[in-house]
Amino acid sequence: MTRESQSYNRLWSIVMTIISVLYMYPIFMVLINSLKQESAISTGTAFELPTEETFAGLANYENAISTQGFLSSLFFTTFITVTSVIAILLFCSMFAWYITRVNTKVTRALYLLCAFSMVVPFQMVMFTLSSMADSLNLNTPWVLWIIYLGFGAGLAVFMFCGFMRSVPIDIEEASMIDGCNPLQTYFHIVVPLLRPTMVSVAILEAMWIWNDYLLPTLILDINKYRTISMLIQFFRGSYGRVEMGPMMACIMLAILPIIIIYLIGQKYIIKGVVAGAVKG
Amino acid sequence: MAFVSLKHVEKVYPSTDGKHRHGEKKSNLKVTKEGVLAVEDFNLEIKDREFIVLVGPSGCGKSTTLRMVAGLEEITRGEIYIDDRLVNDVPPKDRDIAMVFQSYALYPHMTVRGNMEFPLKLHKVPKDEIKKRVEQAASILGITEYLDRKPKALSGGQRQRVAIGRAIVREPKVLLMDEPLSNLDAKLRNQMRAEIIKLRQRIDTTFIYVTHDQTEAMTLGDRIVIMKDGVIQQIGTPQEVFDHPKNQFVAGFIGVPQMNFYDARLLRAADGSYKVELQGTYIVPSEEKQEALRKNDAEAQDIVLGVRPEHIALLGDGKDMLHGTVEVAEMMGSAVHLHVNACGRESIIIAQTMSFEGKLPGSFAIGSPISFTFGGNVIHMFSKDGNNLEA
Repeated sequence: MTRESQSYNRLWSIVMTIISVLYMYPIFMVLINSLKQESAISTGTAFELPTEETFAGLANYENAISTQGFLSSLFFTTFITVTSVIAILLFCSMFAWYITRVNTKVTRALYLLCAFSMVVPFQMVMFTLSSMADSLNLNTPWVLWIIYLGFGAGLAVFMFCGFMRSVPIDIEEASMIDGCNPLQTYFHIVVPLLRPTMVSVAILEAMWIWNDYLLPTLILDINKYRTISMLIQFFRGSYGRVEMGPMMACIMLAILPIIIIYLIGQKYIIKGVVAGAVKG
Repeated sequence: MAFVSLKHVEKVYPSTDGKHRHGEKKSNLKVTKEGVLAVEDFNLEIKDREFIVLVGPSGCGKSTTLRMVAGLEEITRGEIYIDDRLVNDVPPKDRDIAMVFQSYALYPHMTVRGNMEFPLKLHKVPKDEIKKRVEQAASILGITEYLDRKPKALSGGQRQRVAIGRAIVREPKVLLMDEPLSNLDAKLRNQMRAEIIKLRQRIDTTFIYVTHDQTEAMTLGDRIVIMKDGVIQQIGTPQEVFDHPKNQFVAGFIGVPQMNFYDARLLRAADGSYKVELQGTYIVPSEEKQEALRKNDAEAQDIVLGVRPEHIALLGDGKDMLHGTVEVAEMMGSAVHLHVNACGRESIIIAQTMSFEGKLPGSFAIGSPISFTFGGNVIHMFSKDGNNLEA
């Protein structure tokens, strides 16, 4: 490596480090404030590290969990995320397999429709969706996965199709000759082949659904069902008073599971996103 | 083991781009109102335990035919029988066949053992029987030590053995092989070819083998089906198609190096005898060939004369010799392949590097003149439209 390229790399590392710190800064701020007493957050010391006088320990976390029904929100969020991700993985991988292998005008149109759904912003359809969900009784956490399946299908189908195109059809034909019916081919052959893409789709979709605020707020009955993202706003009391400590703790508790899932599965995201891009 | 019967089988791919109209040709394939005719009126009776080879250039319809037997392609017209059972609408899994693919098509997430057990598990074969059959097949193919490895940890030759193993554990009625050796290097291909010959002797099944390599076809097949543009050109034993090619395409396709062709004229004397004029020299066909020509009542006409390179003799200057110039001399070790410009065409002549008496031939310097001849018993006479006048 030449001296020129070494100094270029060093400069690049410094720039990227600064950008990373900027990205991490808000999360770091939430973390340190979640460990401070209420008075220390709302005054000018919000940007300082906790001192002996301002350190609150895990009191804010206890408060966040014990009030406002955190545990039921955690349950609803987990339930919605898990059911939606399972539905997206199952239906979208089957759909992608079909439209990749059956090349007709209809399947090509369906693929384009899925790709198009990725570019339509949610805000454009949210009010019609909200009234439609009410009329179809889709406004409970138990069936919210149907709506998430629709919104998550674009990215999932796009990624699954990208991978499926790189898988030789011979393998599926061999399984058909070996004695598989289409469902057996899907579960015994296609699903194991799709596993890396499935993990990356699952992580990307889980991150989105877990953190989503707008869709559940519009669809669900806010007095009955609250996801964690919805719950956070209930730490805002009357007359503009905000319980900042518990709110910060709640934010930390909300983002913690998804960060852990991301860290465990991040290597699959790279694999899954680039799958099919190059000949393997 | 079973017999397979294909009756008037045709495959039409609907023209999706709308560019090809009825009567046009796409890569020499006929285009009908329905679309591109990939396989046309295919008729073949395959006997029990026979090893049949479908051979032809790329796009001739050989793989399509095999895939129709496998049930991976729908049949547009015609009937396919395995034993006495019409299988046109029977799904692949219920045809009692197994197939070896060119790309091996192993299941990458399963071990070698898993790959071989998979079809047996699907057919609910008892566990003990599965174990026995897998170990037996692995032992035949010499892959016992790789049973617990994944396919990615195997070489090309080993993977192909596993693919064959997965097919034979089923003990299928018909074993289909779609260019199974094309992905292997030359040395391994020769080795695997010998393995397939041995395997064939050990298992009782009917083989249908597809290849574009005429050497594989000649060495493996009991009978060869030569195809071109979706149409069968000739069906016969390797020796039959080599000695009596039905047309110029078969003559040129079978044999390495390929047959030399010259523009010549067939002459018929008043007494009914024939001779061939080539560049002022006359070749008298053998009595057998004369008889065949008489039987077909062949007229005097311009013909294409075919001679195999190994049937040409370099005899120095003499009567009725043909003359040419050496353009390329390829040293093959035991022989030299001479590319000679003669009679207005490039011809290939095989010259042995050492004669039977141990004499070395003269040098074949590029540009040097060369004289050669061939007898009337080794010539093949084709009409201008390619049909063998003796057939």
